[in-house]
Amino acid sequence: MKPDDFEQKLTRQPLRPVPTEWRAEILSAAQAAAPAQPPTLGASKLATFNQQLANFFWPHPKAWAGLSAVWVGIIALNLATRDPAARIAERSSPPSAEVIVELKKQQRMFAELVGPRELLDLERPRIFSPRPRSERVEILVG
Amino acid sequence: MPARPDIARLYDEHAQPLFAFLLNLTRDEADTRDLLQEIFVKLARDADLLHGVREERAFLIRLAHNAAIDLMRRRGTRERTKENFAEILSPFATAADPDEATFHTELAAALAELPPEQRAVAHLKLWTGLTFEEIASALDISPNTAASRYRYALDKMRARLRPLYEEIK
Repeated sequence: MKPDDFEQKLTRQPLRPVPTEWRAEILSAAQAAAPAQPPTLGASKLATFNQQLANFFWPHPKAWAGLSAVWVGIIALNLATRDPAARIAERSSPPSAEVIVELKKQQRMFAELVGPRELLDLERPRIFSPRPRSERVEILVG
Repeated sequence: MPARPDIARLYDEHAQPLFAFLLNLTRDEADTRDLLQEIFVKLARDADLLHGVREERAFLIRLAHNAAIDLMRRRGTRERTKENFAEILSPFATAADPDEATFHTELAAALAELPPEQRAVAHLKLWTGLTFEEIASALDISPNTAASRYRYALDKMRARLRPLYEEIK
C-alpha cells in the first residue's frame, strides 16, 4: 500500500524527544533493581587460569601439540623397552609359607655350622623391656 | 546463565520511540516516565527477558504496550475522563511555524479521539516505521487486524484534519 500525501505529511511530523534528565534517573533505578551478581570467585579464578593457559599456548599451538606428541612417544618407548626382570619382580607375589620354612631351615643349618652362640641369638625372640636409664648404666659399668 | 543485558545501550537505542509511543497512549508525561522506568527496571531485573529475542524493538514495544494497557485498566474511569476533558498533551515536538504548530495540535487531538488500539497501530505504523507483521507481533494481533485498525484510524484522522490540511498544504 503506497502512502498518500496525507500519510507522508503525518509521517514527517517530528516527535517530542525524551527529556534528557530521564536517562540518568531511569538507568539508576534499573541498576538499583538489578539482582546482585552471585559470588563466582572460584569460577572467575578458573576462567583466569584458562585464559592464561590459552594466552600461553595460543602463539604456536602446533608446536605445543608436537612437543606433547614427542613426550607421549618417549613414555611409550620407555614402557616398551623396560628391563623384563624388573617387571617380573614387580609382578611377583610375596614368598609362600613353604619358601619361608625352607629359608628358616637353611638359616638354622647355617647357624649349626657356625656355632651354638649364633643359633641362640637367632632363635631367641627379641623382647623389648623398658628399663630406667640408671639400670642400663649399671649394666654397662658392671 | 544468560549475560546481564546492557541497559544503557538498550535505553540509548530504544527509549525515544518507546517514549513517543507511551506518551501517545497515556497522554501523561508522569505516567510515561513511570512506564518507561518500569520497562527498563524489568529488563535489568530479569536477565532472561531478552534471551532469544531477535527483534528488540518489537519486543520492547510489546512490553510498553502491555504496561500502558495495564495502567489504563488500573486507572479506569479516571483515565477516560481525562481523555475526554483534560487538555491534550501533544506527542509532537514544538514547531516554530504557526501553521505547523496548529497542525500538531489538531493532529494530537485527532489521535486522542481514536480508540487506544487504533491509536497504537497508527503510531507504530506512522512514527516507528514497523510493518503490519511487526505491529501484529508486537501487539499480539493478526496482521489483517493491524491493517484494518490502521485504515480506520487514518480515515478518522483524514476526515478530522482535511480542512486544515487542505489549507496549509
